[in-house]
Amino acid sequence: MGTDAAKVDIKLLATLDRASLEQEFDRLLAADGPALGRLAANFTNTPSDRDDLLQEIAMAVWQALRTFRGECSPRTFLFRIAHNRAIAYLSRSRARSSEAFGDVEVHDPAPDPESGLAREQTTERLHSAIHRLPLVYRQVIMLALEDMDYTEIGEVLGISESNVGARLSRARQLLRESLEKRK
Amino acid sequence: MNLDSELETWRREWQSEAAIAPDLRRQVERQSRWLRMGIAADILVTIVIGGGVLGLAVRSPQPDMLLLAAATWSFIAAAWAFRLTITRGLWSPAAIDTAAFIDLSIRRCRAQLKAMVFGAGLFLCEIVFCMGWIYRHSAQRGPLPAWLFGSISHWVIGLFSAVFFVFLARYRRKKRAELAWLIGLRG
Repeated sequence: MGTDAAKVDIKLLATLDRASLEQEFDRLLAADGPALGRLAANFTNTPSDRDDLLQEIAMAVWQALRTFRGECSPRTFLFRIAHNRAIAYLSRSRARSSEAFGDVEVHDPAPDPESGLAREQTTERLHSAIHRLPLVYRQVIMLALEDMDYTEIGEVLGISESNVGARLSRARQLLRESLEKRK
Repeated sequence: MNLDSELETWRREWQSEAAIAPDLRRQVERQSRWLRMGIAADILVTIVIGGGVLGLAVRSPQPDMLLLAAATWSFIAAAWAFRLTITRGLWSPAAIDTAAFIDLSIRRCRAQLKAMVFGAGLFLCEIVFCMGWIYRHSAQRGPLPAWLFGSISHWVIGLFSAVFFVFLARYRRKKRAELAWLIGLRG
């Protein structure tokens, strides 16, 4: 969970020396490492792409850390960067492979030998169903599943709380239908 | 199920997926590639060696050639039967989590250890059969020890076999260490 991330003294970040900033960076990433891993996995199709995206997110966080002024929580800051990097990554993937995204369904990744049996697992089914949601709904449901409230989700995505509510409601409906279909 | 409990259930499932250590995932993927390459190699051996001796037996259907073809195909059949048995259940983890990946790695490691013993035995049988077959058809057939140690090509075969067994022994030691490490990881 990201509660530890809140321990970062946000006011001091801009004035920290490099070593201390590195420590804060490590603490920030460690606190939300699993959540970032899930996010990256859901935006990519292969483990190596996932690792690449995580690396990009980490670099972007590092570059932005000194400019962080504490307008939002460190966790919101982290997820905003992560989502922006993930979307940039998707755009590049689309350019490379003409993969459709946005309001169009993202294709189901081809099952590899490792995931054959696991597709039957409930957790994998949920991840798969979320992966196939249109991007706007995928983002909002992933953040909600990471225990973020409407305000935080709105801050991450740059949309109003009412918009978050509307998107989340639609996302849940789509997810429910998708899970029902694959039962 | 009401809406909040539905979201809570999804939340638990979503967060329950422990991130699989990238190294472990890569190792399992590498093993899968080796498994596929092993199958491809077996298919190649079956086609080239099996097809070759079969062709020879068809062209000159002498009892000795038929014996060679039958023995070769017995070895191929034994190798395939062993491979199909040993690789059963080794292709996929039971779930996409670290525990399942470790469990799969352990099963693959054990299978490789068994395969090494089987491979060594099969290799030995093939060498004995082939040398016996060649000895039987040798033009300068003298006493067996003199024949065996009197040819450069036999020494090359002996050297190759020794290297093969040394390699197997070292690989076995490495795999046993890997197995102990994986079992330790599982706890």
